[in-house]
Amino acid sequence: MNKDTIYAFIFWILFSVLLEIIVIVFRDTLYPIQGSEQAIFIDNAFLLLTILAIPIFTLVCVMLVYSIVKFRGNKNALNNNWNDSKTNKGWGWAWLVWSTILCLIVVVHPGYTGIKELHSTMFDNPDLTINVTGQRWQWKYEYLDSEHKETIITLKRKDDVVILPNESLIRFNITAPENDVLHSFWIPAFRMKVDAVPGLITSLDVNTNKIAGFKDDINYRVQCAELCGIGHAPMASKVEVIEKSEFHKWLIEKIDE
Amino acid sequence: MNIANGLFPIIKGLLFSVIGFLIGSILAKGLTSLTGYPMKEPLITLGYIFALIGWLMGVGMWKTWGKEWFGLKFIVHDNSGGWKRYFRFSTDHKVVGIQYLITLVVIFFLAGLFAVLMRMELISPSENLFSAKEYNTVMSLHGIMMIAVAVATFLGGFANYVVPLMIGAKDVAFPRMNALSYWVVPPVAILLLLTPLFGGFDTGWTAYPPLASKTATGALLFELAFLTFGISSILGGLNFLATIILMRAPGMGWGRVPIFVWGVLAASIIALIGTQWVAFALLMIILERIVGMHFFNPVDGVGGNALLYEHVFWFYSHPAVYIMALPGFGVILEIITTFSKKSLYAYTWVVRAFLGIVGLGFLVWAHHMFTSGMAHWLHLPFMLLTELISIPTGIVFLSALTTLWRSNVVLKTPLLFALSVVFNFSIGGLTGIFLADVATDVQLQDTYFVVAHFHYTMVGGVVFSLFAATYYWFPKISGKMYNETLGRIHAILMLIAFNLTFLTMFAPGMHGMNRRIATYPDTFGDTNFWVSIFGFFMALSFVPFVINIIYSLSKGPKSSNNPWSSTTLEWKTTSPPPIENFETPPSVSGRIYDYSKSEIVKEP
Repeated sequence: MNKDTIYAFIFWILFSVLLEIIVIVFRDTLYPIQGSEQAIFIDNAFLLLTILAIPIFTLVCVMLVYSIVKFRGNKNALNNNWNDSKTNKGWGWAWLVWSTILCLIVVVHPGYTGIKELHSTMFDNPDLTINVTGQRWQWKYEYLDSEHKETIITLKRKDDVVILPNESLIRFNITAPENDVLHSFWIPAFRMKVDAVPGLITSLDVNTNKIAGFKDDINYRVQCAELCGIGHAPMASKVEVIEKSEFHKWLIEKIDE
Repeated sequence: MNIANGLFPIIKGLLFSVIGFLIGSILAKGLTSLTGYPMKEPLITLGYIFALIGWLMGVGMWKTWGKEWFGLKFIVHDNSGGWKRYFRFSTDHKVVGIQYLITLVVIFFLAGLFAVLMRMELISPSENLFSAKEYNTVMSLHGIMMIAVAVATFLGGFANYVVPLMIGAKDVAFPRMNALSYWVVPPVAILLLLTPLFGGFDTGWTAYPPLASKTATGALLFELAFLTFGISSILGGLNFLATIILMRAPGMGWGRVPIFVWGVLAASIIALIGTQWVAFALLMIILERIVGMHFFNPVDGVGGNALLYEHVFWFYSHPAVYIMALPGFGVILEIITTFSKKSLYAYTWVVRAFLGIVGLGFLVWAHHMFTSGMAHWLHLPFMLLTELISIPTGIVFLSALTTLWRSNVVLKTPLLFALSVVFNFSIGGLTGIFLADVATDVQLQDTYFVVAHFHYTMVGGVVFSLFAATYYWFPKISGKMYNETLGRIHAILMLIAFNLTFLTMFAPGMHGMNRRIATYPDTFGDTNFWVSIFGFFMALSFVPFVINIIYSLSKGPKSSNNPWSSTTLEWKTTSPPPIENFETPPSVSGRIYDYSKSEIVKEP
């Protein structure tokens, strides 16, 4: 090993450790409020990928800056200095093996485990089912009864607040009318999103874990995330998660209306 | 009189296109009144097809090509007439290259202006400059025009000018097809700029149906423009494949082909194979609009499926980013090896990586669709394949870094841009991992995180390498040397401004701001204000570039044939090269980057 390689290696370690510490200390600034169990998993995946990406980023930075500072040729270098690099035979294979291993690690976790987590509740019986329809340019919500069959209340005004019970598994079945266009159902606080496709029913499961709402954090909103024309940006509704018992009171009041 | 004479082919082209439009629309009127299909869009479509034919024949395709089909006397190569060559159907690859470059620089600055307008709207949370509809049109135009610039500036502009020189050929394999691939580009620009008069097009450049088949007529113009541009891309890809495979100088085996040429070859494979898919998808939308077919629209249970379009569209449009990126990778490696005076490290591995990217690039399209509602068992394979693309891409950038390592770095403007690409693309590539991972993508899809990510790859990677190529080949193409100080100022300002703008842009995306919106919640006001300010700063960083180019073209010192002491063949001829490129056809007798063995051309 020559001196340059050793110095660069030391810089690389120091710079990586510094960035890792910064990211881990300030990790809470990376993402908004965690309104669901899914959000906690997804944010941890985000943090893990950031931690894995940092050494690669710092390697590029250190090699670039070190080369620029240390290996500067003089003015006439273009004309009379040259340097033939002998390609190390193992170089390519080493990278191939190493990067494949890295890829597979990331694919297994948080990749495969993430997909599992997103679909882990697929066969569970939800506490509440809501049928959602995305129309240009507002959302319609139909709360189903405990048998998940009949619609008991419908919210379809633009300023209606979507009230959800805390600590419950909520299933959204999402679609769009046949003569409509694509929309995307997204609640940033829950980190969950799926498109509303005409003629297709998609679904999302969310485990709420916090009593909070639109007034606490802007991310408690249903936001259309697929360009759908002029009303796309304001195609949103407020979301609020409340205590289970209060939710049932609210539901009964709504039915009586 | 002289000017009118020089512009005559253009005037004739315009006149013929008007006549063509009339013929086409009258024909369509006749057909639609027979079938009783009362719409104006068939008129526009058929009118446009005839107008396009009229335009091409008018600018000179009839004289050089069309007459041959009818057994008439035709002119094959007409390279006379100074500046007038650039205003007609010229078959000289260097003329076509410059035609592409000038046209695309104009489109680039127009699209850049649209970006500035968008940032002016987004500087505050409420509507302050545009209505939502106008904003969508400006946003969509910015997108598609920049895509056109990124696709065609390398493959149409630089590859056209440089590839035949680099492989020691007289011209490309199909010179007339080459001219045709350029002359369909101006109608694309005109169609796109006409969209605001036809109700705008507010679908974004992805133009997902059913919106694309329901919205204003502007969207039809966009579909026709994109389809036309696709023809240009397919013909260009075919042409470069044939040229590179068949026309290399004696002695230039596959192991001696310059790395930029490999990049163009790889990109051409994608352009030839992939573009046909998107062309087909666009054609289906046009048919939905003009004759009321339902491919993507589930009407009364007899229609189609909206997801079908997304699959076909991304089957092209994901590989398309490699049409833009691969020649860019090629040129930065070319520049790094030249300006560090060290032979390219692991040349063979880089070539393998390029071809690996072509192969894998076709197998990752559905990572754009993790939240689209497609079957969830497709998530894992597409995530795996997407992550695998980092392996060949890593090889390209490791080769760049290892070439730099323990070399003699000469920090001229082209190298500054090339090194910026390595830095920017590392951020662009690493943030891609978050979007390849299903769990994090479910949150980040369609947010500003995605916008920041693809600007890091497309601007930070492709546009920076376009500028690297511009400065690198400027002496060869113009015969003049650019101003080094202004060039370095441009490089450094652009690097700083670009990173400030787009690094900041990740933040609102991570915190819940979706994309393609003119208005947004107040909480994102601060970050967007700064993104806009940094964005304006980035727009200003192009001022030294414009001054430099104009000044150097008129008053710059004469450049020698090989100012960088490079070993590739384009530097072995005069600057600019003569018609048919070389006084004596060159031959190659060694590996192209063996600096110690090749004869280094001394300054006269």
